[in-house]
Amino acid sequence: MEGRLANSWRLTVNDKNFIKTALLSEIRIDGRKPYEYRKIAIKFGREDGSSEVQLGQTHVMGIVTAQLVQPYRDRPKEGILSIYTEFSPMADPSFEPGRPGELAVELGRIIDRGLRESRSVDTESLCVLAGKFVWAIRIDLHILDNGGNLVDAANIAALAALLTFRRPECSLGGEDGQEVIVHPPEIREPLPLTVHHLPIAITFGFFSNESILVIDPTHNEEAVMSGRMTTTVNANGDICAIQKAGGEGVPQRVIMQCLQLATAKAVGITKQIKEAVEVYNTERALRKIKRHPTSTSVNVREKQNQSIGK
Amino acid sequence: MEVDREDGRTQNQLRPLACSRNILHRAHGSASWSQGDTKVLAAVYGPKAGTKKNENPEKACIEVIWKPKTGQTGKQEKEYEMILKRTLLSICILTVNPNTTTSIIIQVVNDDGALLPSAINAACLALVDAGIPMKHLAIAICCVAKSGYVILDPTKLEEQKMKAFAYLVFPNSVHSVLPEGSLSVQGEPIEHGIITSVTHGTMSVDDYFYCLDRGRAASVKLSDFLRRSLQQHSTDSSKAG
Repeated sequence: MEGRLANSWRLTVNDKNFIKTALLSEIRIDGRKPYEYRKIAIKFGREDGSSEVQLGQTHVMGIVTAQLVQPYRDRPKEGILSIYTEFSPMADPSFEPGRPGELAVELGRIIDRGLRESRSVDTESLCVLAGKFVWAIRIDLHILDNGGNLVDAANIAALAALLTFRRPECSLGGEDGQEVIVHPPEIREPLPLTVHHLPIAITFGFFSNESILVIDPTHNEEAVMSGRMTTTVNANGDICAIQKAGGEGVPQRVIMQCLQLATAKAVGITKQIKEAVEVYNTERALRKIKRHPTSTSVNVREKQNQSIGK
Repeated sequence: MEVDREDGRTQNQLRPLACSRNILHRAHGSASWSQGDTKVLAAVYGPKAGTKKNENPEKACIEVIWKPKTGQTGKQEKEYEMILKRTLLSICILTVNPNTTTSIIIQVVNDDGALLPSAINAACLALVDAGIPMKHLAIAICCVAKSGYVILDPTKLEEQKMKAFAYLVFPNSVHSVLPEGSLSVQGEPIEHGIITSVTHGTMSVDDYFYCLDRGRAASVKLSDFLRRSLQQHSTDSSKAG
């Protein structure tokens, strides 16, 4: 037990006071203004449906996979969407391997609520054979580096991965039309998912002084702040979800201010995600054209008493 | 004998290598290693206080956590963790920091063949980045043997098609200032030793020795690459905070 306490990270009293005093003059320790977001960088992997998002120092990876399963009994014509969050021990010395803790579960639930209940991903188009076969989409979110505000970064990673994911095309066959044939990607081009809108999560941090409000807290600010709220909004101005679990009480006008700020930020972030996906799709189309492999491979020569390999 | 490989490589060609150090901010050391499309991320935290219950407190202890790309951790991941732990235990100097634990976390970003060798290479690089004391580095390579010829660094398709393949880990080649200074064990230079060998499938004894030869030659090339990238990084390290 002492071992674990010795390894957890604590902010000193001086550091905490410094952050609070600086905020009174609207200065944040990384040089941002209170309503400024950190720089977002969205990258994609080689395979469809894998994204890497960097929000300042926070680094999250999102992977989307799909499988054919039996649908739930009460929803025989809808596909299944499930989100798995992995707080990897590489992100923070206090993250332990094994079962997800309450932070991981809460993060998963916020993103899940934003995607599922706002019906941003069309689950009815995932149905192949009603009552027998539907596509189950699984989103794995790996938190690689905890620089604060994991919810927002993980949400962007999930959205970016969903927008670039392609599921195999399948058709019904067999004698009675009850067999599902899944076509491999070389025969038939896989299909993208139908995403109606992009719910963007924006997190706010509240401090003990009522009028201090920051957007996108870093992990130092998270250790000092006394309350947090995550609002999931989309670029159309719809509120998809709000999560404020305990913490400092805030007056209504502050909540309204937060929602307005969030909607403004969501427009910018949505644009950025869509642009990144466009670039990826263009690259993907170019890759489809067969090219001669570039000769940057390393050659290994055999020993001298054997013939030289090329 | 000429072999036709899908991506146009010859049997002795490795895939393009890329590695980078210090990519994560919270971890004490981090590195990413990619061979072609296979990409692995490694992070090191340590030395942390205390050892686990069944470990010897008079020595440093190493803990490996393997995170697959998707799905839950199963027996395959546990096996990788064990192999990685034993390999790293043999290259780290355990007597320097007794009663401490160094954790190495491996995250698979993409798997396109030669996953375990990439992970071992990434872990070594991350340990260097964290400044953990080591005797020498370990270089891992994957070879596929088939009736007399050996293919280096197979992709996932090639691994699945072939009957047998081997993951081999060698100590890296030593550059010494003194001419006789290179470490040797019983007359043979140290880079001829094998730290770890994991084989899958059946192969003849001759094939296995042939794999070892080719693997050793490849590990020299990989050592050079590793040395170059480490030296380059330390000369132009001008990062703020």
